[in-house]
Amino acid sequence: MSGESETRFSHQWLIPTPALDHAHYFLLPRFNCSMMETTTSLSFTEDGFEAFASVRDEPRWLSDLRVSAWKKYTELSWPARTDEEWIRTDIRQFKLDRYSLSPEPPKPETNATALLREGVELGGDCTSLDSQKTHSFISDKWADKGVVFGSFDEIVRSHGDLIRPYLLRRAVNPSYDKFAALHATFMTGGAILYVPRGVVVDEPFYALSALTDGGADFGHTLVILEDGAEATMLSETASEDAAGGGLHCGAIELIVNPRAHLRYVNLQNWGNNVWHFAHQKALVDRDASLQWTIAAMGAKLAKVNQHVGLIGEGANCQVNGVMFTEDKQHLSYHTLQHHEAPSCRSDFLYKAGLQDKSRTVWRGMIKVDRVAQRTDGYQRNDNLLLSTNARADSIPGLEIEADDVRCTHGSTSGRVDDELIFYARCRGYTRKEAIQMIVTGFFQKVFDRITIESVRDALGLAIARRVREYE
Amino acid sequence: MSEFIRVAKVSDVANTGKIILEVEDRMVVLLHINDQFFCIDDICTHDGGPLGEGELCGFELACPRHGAKFDVRNGAALTMPATEATVVHEVKIEGDNVFVRISED
Repeated sequence: MSGESETRFSHQWLIPTPALDHAHYFLLPRFNCSMMETTTSLSFTEDGFEAFASVRDEPRWLSDLRVSAWKKYTELSWPARTDEEWIRTDIRQFKLDRYSLSPEPPKPETNATALLREGVELGGDCTSLDSQKTHSFISDKWADKGVVFGSFDEIVRSHGDLIRPYLLRRAVNPSYDKFAALHATFMTGGAILYVPRGVVVDEPFYALSALTDGGADFGHTLVILEDGAEATMLSETASEDAAGGGLHCGAIELIVNPRAHLRYVNLQNWGNNVWHFAHQKALVDRDASLQWTIAAMGAKLAKVNQHVGLIGEGANCQVNGVMFTEDKQHLSYHTLQHHEAPSCRSDFLYKAGLQDKSRTVWRGMIKVDRVAQRTDGYQRNDNLLLSTNARADSIPGLEIEADDVRCTHGSTSGRVDDELIFYARCRGYTRKEAIQMIVTGFFQKVFDRITIESVRDALGLAIARRVREYE
Repeated sequence: MSEFIRVAKVSDVANTGKIILEVEDRMVVLLHINDQFFCIDDICTHDGGPLGEGELCGFELACPRHGAKFDVRNGAALTMPATEATVVHEVKIEGDNVFVRISED
């Protein structure tokens, strides 16, 4: 059969070649079969923003924040391939104009599979589909104590004055890059949790962000614990179609005030064709603690900035990262442990298992300010390569300006030991069972740090199911 | 096996010259050298650098990031710091049209 077929490429760059006497630039026709713009969709353009802003029912200060963010967005450039954070993450195939927010109400519920909710008694739960709330609930037991929990949109309306001092003011910087500005402009969906001073919540809160195939999620998660409060929040993302596409441009802000204690889990489990861009930042104050567990198994490409600021003396944070990738997934995490006060402790452990031709990038930094004496900082990244074509880039870093500190970092990358597989097979395990055991053993150290049993079990099962057999 | 896809006209790429294209979810470099066409991945296997933006000299394309050179005819890594070949895609010409078949690799 002759090879003539429709041109199916969707974009081209044309580069002048030094070998030529003259530069040669041109643009070939663009064919995009997935563009389905309608007059009512809320695209990420000037017109789209005006349409989006015109239907918002929210406080004036939030509208002003969005206008300012849009202005910033138009001023900033897309990241360059030579930028440190993007040098290993190629987003040329990302086409923002393929996505939009829907002005129509969502379906009443989603069929996306939720992993973290199973068998857990919740204090509240909140679900969104394509950035729109489908369900929100808080137990009276906690509401009566002044706890506030619900979808982003409803809480900024009902408790705007409470939220205003925190939203994009102290943690995530909406001008950090073009994605942050885009999120700040269109943020909708997501969840807000506020726990008053001294209240100890012993039932976890839960939030699910779901996507239809090709949908967009601009959810913003904001958790505020006042002095002495305690809470646990489980947050996950899921696509209705495991191979589904879409866009997530989100942010997470965790504010842990003095002597408060927060356990926060976020599981990124989108379909394997979703583009995921996120800015996530926590501030941990005096004598407060944060246990932050991140798991990432989905998405076509994820670029996440995860920062923790230890801003008060004696603050403590433990970050656990679990990643498991397959096919051609590309997950890039840029983490920061910023010691801004003395006698703080940070402990980061990220573990990644990689299959097929997937790739993970971890760029970790421990930054210690001059005043942060008696800092105890630790970061470690371990990578298990389950196939010859997988690739893990692991780059720890330290920037220390105090002189009485302990900072340790480490990184390991390796393949599964064939002798271990042989040993297991000699004892009756199949090759796949042997690899599953080895993978479980690899992640055990980070699982042991997760104090929420249901989360440990859910993650362990999800990973074991994804393990494939390799020769 | 994937099909041949028409990606450009012969006249679109100077002889000698190169362009970067997105074909079937993949970034590739289409090169036109001495009336022959070649197509390789736009990725330097050393550190993922933008190979297609590098300098072309004969059949050798050098990654602008750290200087690794590749033979565009077979994707072979010719110099350090690259040690692995980059992927090559089949090219055919019919009339004025250039067709590329993306490799399964």
